[in-house]
Amino acid sequence: MTKSSEESPSRRTFMMVVIGLISAVIGVALAIPILGEVLSPLFKKRDIVWSKLGKVNDLANITPLTPKFIPVYFRVKEGWTVNTLPRQVMVVKDITGKFYFFSNQCTHLGCPLHWIPARQKFMCPCHGGMFNVLGKVVGGPPPRPLYVWVHKIENGTVLIQNKFVDNPKERGV
Amino acid sequence: MLKKIQNWFDERIGLTELINEFNGERIPRRGGWAYTFGSLLAFLFTVQVTTGIFLLFYYVPYFPMARNATYYIKHHVFLGNILLGIHLWAAFTMIFFLLVHMSRVYFSGAYKKPRELQWIVGMVLFSVVVVLGLTGYMLIGNENSWWTINVLTNVASHTPIIGGFLRIVVRGGTETSVLTMQHIFAVHVWLLPIVVILFIPIHLFLIRKTGHQGMALEYKNSKLPDDDINKWKHPDATVPFFPDQFYKDMIISLAVFAVVYILAVVYGAAIGPMYRPLALNFAPEADWYFLANEELLKYFPGHGLIIFSTFLVPTIGFAILFALPFIDRGHERSPFKRPAATVLGILFLLLLVYLTLIGGEPKAPATV
Repeated sequence: MTKSSEESPSRRTFMMVVIGLISAVIGVALAIPILGEVLSPLFKKRDIVWSKLGKVNDLANITPLTPKFIPVYFRVKEGWTVNTLPRQVMVVKDITGKFYFFSNQCTHLGCPLHWIPARQKFMCPCHGGMFNVLGKVVGGPPPRPLYVWVHKIENGTVLIQNKFVDNPKERGV
Repeated sequence: MLKKIQNWFDERIGLTELINEFNGERIPRRGGWAYTFGSLLAFLFTVQVTTGIFLLFYYVPYFPMARNATYYIKHHVFLGNILLGIHLWAAFTMIFFLLVHMSRVYFSGAYKKPRELQWIVGMVLFSVVVVLGLTGYMLIGNENSWWTINVLTNVASHTPIIGGFLRIVVRGGTETSVLTMQHIFAVHVWLLPIVVILFIPIHLFLIRKTGHQGMALEYKNSKLPDDDINKWKHPDATVPFFPDQFYKDMIISLAVFAVVYILAVVYGAAIGPMYRPLALNFAPEADWYFLANEELLKYFPGHGLIIFSTFLVPTIGFAILFALPFIDRGHERSPFKRPAATVLGILFLLLLVYLTLIGGEPKAPATV
C-alpha cells in the first residue's frame, strides 16, 4: 500500500503539488470557454443599415432655425433577433438653406434633448447640457457639438445611417 | 510575511485551527477510491452552476425563441458550443455518477443506523438533480422540449385528486405557453439549485456527525460482532481528508472532467429543430436517464391502469428508496453477508438497464 501523507512528508508534498496542478488545469479549462463566451461581443461587427427619412421636397418647407423632429427606424441584426431601433432625427435648416441632421442624444452621456423654443436652445434634462440650434455647446458639461447622422440624398430621398459623422469611438447611437 | 497574515487571522478567528478541523477529518484508508464519488458530484455541481450562470448571459426563456437563443450560443458565441456542451455532458455525467454513488452506498450498506438521515438527504438531492435534468431539457426550447413539457405535465395530471390543479400550476396557465417556459426557467435556475446548495452542506454535516464509516472491508481486524454499533466507529486504518483523500478526489474529478470536456468539444450539445406544431413526422424522445420511466409508461394501457405508470409505480418506487434504511434494518454491511439485499439491488439495476435499452427503441412509426 502506498504511504499516507502522515507516514511520508515527501508523499504529502507530492499530493499537494498534484492537487494544485489539477486545480489549475480545471480552472483554466473552465475559464477559457467562459471568457470566450463573455468577451464574444467584442468580436462582433455592428450592423450598419440605411433607412429612409423622407423627401427632400418636404424638408424644404420647414422653418429656418427651428428643428423638426422626424423619427427613423433602423432594422438591425443583433444576436439571434432583428431589432427595430426607433431614433429621432432633428432636422435643422439654416438661413442659407443648408440642412443639418442632428441626433437628439446629448453628447455628454446620451440623454434625449428637449427643444426649448423660448430660449431657442436644446436643453439636456439629465445634467444640464445646452446646445444652440446649429449644435454648438453653449453651456453645461457636453464635450463636443451635437452628433450628426451619416446621411445621403438619392433620387430626392434623404437616407440616414445608424452611425454618426466624426464619432470614432461609436459613442451614442 | 505569510506567517504574519496567518497570525492576524488566528488571533481573531482561529483560522488555522478551523482549517485543520475541516481538513483533518479521518477517512477510512482501504477503500479510498470508492469514496471519491461524493466529492466528484460536488465538483460536477460546481461546474454546472458556473457554466449555467454564464449561459444565462445569452439565454432567453421565451418559447419558442429559447431555441434560437440556444442556437445562437452554440453557433455564434465564441466558444459558446464548448460551454453549452460542458453544461449538457456534465449534467448527464452527474446523473450517471449519482447512480454510481447510490449503488456504492447501497451495496456497502452505508445507509444503516446511524446514517439513515444521510441516505434520505441524499435521496432528496437525487430527486432534485433528476428534475434539474428534465427542466434543462425543456429549456432548450426545441421540438423535444415542447413535447416533453406536454408529456410530463400530462403525467403530473394523473396524480389523484390534485392532478388537474398540479398541471395548471406547473404550466403557469391552462395551456403550454410562454408562461410555462418562464415557470420552468425559474425552477431550473433558482428554485432547485438553491435546494441543492442547501442540502449539500446538510449531507456533509451528517457525514461529520456520524463519521466516515466506509465499507465492511475497513473492519477486517475488528474483533467486535457486526451488530455491535461500536464496531463501525473504528476502522482499521484512517488517513486525513487533506491531502490523502482529497488527492484521490481531485484525480477522479480531473479524469471525469476531461471526458466531459472531450465530449463537449467533439459532440457538443445537439439543439434540434424549432418546434413545428404542424409537423406530421416528429417522434419526441426523452434523455437517456428518463428512458426507463418512458418505457414503463407503455405497459399500463387504459383508463383504469394508467395511474400505475404515471403515479403509483414511480411514487411507490421512490417511497421504497427513501425508506430504505427503515426497511433494511439488519446490521450486516458486507454485500456478501446480506445476499438478499445484494441480489435485489443487482436485479433492480439490471431492470433499469434493460428498460433504458428497450426504451431507446422507436416506439411508433416515425412517419404517419
